[in-house]
Amino acid sequence: MKKELLKEIIEKKKRKIEFAIITNLKDGEGCIFEKNKPLEKNFEKHEDKIKSQFNKKKNGVLEGTNIFVENYILPIKVIIIGAVHIAQYLIDFAKNLNFEIFIIDPRGYFASEKRFPGIKISNKWPKDAFNEIKTDQNTALIALTHDPKIDDPALQHALKNNFFYIGALGSKKTHDNRCTRLKESGFKYEQIKKIFGPIGIKLGGKSAPEIALSIISQLVSEVYKK
Amino acid sequence: MKNSFDEKILEEANDWLSVKQNVVLATVIQTWGSSPRPTGSRMIVNEKGDFSGSVSGGCVEAAVVRECLYLLKEKKICKKIEFKISNKSAWEVGLACGGEIEIFLEQIN
Repeated sequence: MKKELLKEIIEKKKRKIEFAIITNLKDGEGCIFEKNKPLEKNFEKHEDKIKSQFNKKKNGVLEGTNIFVENYILPIKVIIIGAVHIAQYLIDFAKNLNFEIFIIDPRGYFASEKRFPGIKISNKWPKDAFNEIKTDQNTALIALTHDPKIDDPALQHALKNNFFYIGALGSKKTHDNRCTRLKESGFKYEQIKKIFGPIGIKLGGKSAPEIALSIISQLVSEVYKK
Repeated sequence: MKNSFDEKILEEANDWLSVKQNVVLATVIQTWGSSPRPTGSRMIVNEKGDFSGSVSGGCVEAAVVRECLYLLKEKKICKKIEFKISNKSAWEVGLACGGEIEIFLEQIN
């Protein structure tokens, strides 16, 4: 690796720009890959494979080549609606899993700094809160209030913006009612069925940390399906 | 998921370079079976044999340091090395976990 490349990598890391380090294992030549930027000439013929490896968030040698790709991917944004008990455990798990957490709950007595030290919290209603948080297809939503007036606007925002994971707490019956409301608001069946409801994989547990574990497990497995 | 942004090994390599040390970067490029550190894990070695970071759970680091020093001595730019499970003797360098790893060594120049 050239010193100049090392400096460039450090600079990109500082600026929190997503990129990949591309290395030719035959001669040690390397370069930086960035989405939507032209790749260095020597590596051009591998561009499609590099892009696909980057999108899959996987480090490794490209099949049938001598090209090694190491990705620098920013933490995935996870927005939790409802500063409830389960959310406290979710945060504990998420901290070690490269997720960036935001909590939205207009009920100030729930979403207090004291209950969630060091976490980005918005006490606004979801519609207003989303004006301040940049979201995209790389964002996940976990709706935990099971209160339609708080969860529904957030779910609508997530569906419209094509979040890669959308989950909502509540029983089957609660979820059926939720789906009906979304349908009435103009969402199509294909969109609505993307919501994981009842949220989480089946672990069997009912306690707050167990539900948090089942949610985070589902979220992680969806990250790798992308 | 690994948060590569929080890892500081490349920054440390840069610090070593700034005090005129020769630095070799070792990166896990492929793994088979159960190996302790994922692809992309890194370690750096200088000409004195100091090292930082890791490429396994402590099983092969000493051998990697030796290989890095050899690379510097031979003035080679880069090299691939492989480690497999050690079953002949417990004292032999190898991975107790039963995995295999391939490591790429490269000089930062």
